[in-house]
Amino acid sequence: MTIVLNTLEEGAVSGQISTLINGDMEVINTSDMKIAHCMGCNLCWLKTPGICAIKDDYEGILKKLVVAENLWLVSDTRFGFVDWRGKKVMDRIVPMLNMYVEFREGLERHEVRYHPLNFGLLYKGKADQDFLEEWSRRVASNMAGRSLGVIKMGEE
Amino acid sequence: MHVVIINGSPRVQKNSNTDKIIQSFGKGLQASGATYELYSLSNRQEWDAAREAFIGHDQIIFALPLFVECVPGIMLEFLESLPTERKSPAQLSFILHGGFDEGHQFRLGERFLQSLPEQFGCTYGGCLIQGGSFLIRFRDDEKMKETMTKKLDAYIKMGQSFVSNGHFMTEEARKFIGYEKNPWIVHLLFLIFIKRLVRKNFERFAQQWGCTRPLDDKPYLL
Repeated sequence: MTIVLNTLEEGAVSGQISTLINGDMEVINTSDMKIAHCMGCNLCWLKTPGICAIKDDYEGILKKLVVAENLWLVSDTRFGFVDWRGKKVMDRIVPMLNMYVEFREGLERHEVRYHPLNFGLLYKGKADQDFLEEWSRRVASNMAGRSLGVIKMGEE
Repeated sequence: MHVVIINGSPRVQKNSNTDKIIQSFGKGLQASGATYELYSLSNRQEWDAAREAFIGHDQIIFALPLFVECVPGIMLEFLESLPTERKSPAQLSFILHGGFDEGHQFRLGERFLQSLPEQFGCTYGGCLIQGGSFLIRFRDDEKMKETMTKKLDAYIKMGQSFVSNGHFMTEEARKFIGYEKNPWIVHLLFLIFIKRLVRKNFERFAQQWGCTRPLDDKPYLL
């Protein structure tokens, strides 16, 4: 199962998403959802393991991610990177990991709470492709998965 | 010298490790005769004043924790609200920290921060990096307290160094990051000894917070 978090305006890119990403997928449009910034409170690691303290629409996303293999982020860009709307939904991924640390491929990492998750990025606008590829690799590696790639979307 | 410091962490100021780092760094600034004003992005009420300060001053430092390999989303949102052109020149510098202690964990975040100043018409004043800040908040025995006091004191020195050099582009600031990767001996010690100790510490912290579930709980798995 592939979960696609589309942080662009709903509908604007649905055609492109289905051509660029293969297989069984569910697209979640986050632009009209209530999702706050992660506040770094650590409760999902140390008080209610796996459960975010912020009660908003992200909980439904987490419940889908625990049975997904692949996660794609669809995001606009700013300053050469994904914009804050795209980054916001990735910052909230923390409950998918747990507090414990280990060395994975020689690097300090948190343990994955459920299972490895692969990560890919579809982006719009002008950005640093090389930077985004490295970011995608690092994000995937944090979740013990691999990068599915970084793809620039065509203009509508 | 007058410095505007903006805390880019989303965590409330009283629990913010970034704030504790800033307080120590600020002591160093003051000890060398500089002054500073501080804004915290975790408090939306301070955003307008932070923006005004960014526009009106020439020495600006963003201090931030690494979040998912880069800048926290909340700080990106604030950056988007800033003007990208300036009337008067300014220098933009950064203090980047995070839980893990290996230097390489911060390099991508650093690369992003390096690219920012010119996008706001500013010059780059360097990036002071150090990991291992998780225990700033959790020190609960003498040894941890001692280690963390030493860590925060090092920021006082870097505050003084910032006043005398005017930036973080010094050998001293470059070395502040420590090990790029842990040496093999640490990996070995981790496997046979440290891992268990660290897990016990985490479990103790969790207990203090009233946690009743195992830390590797899987609440959403049916």
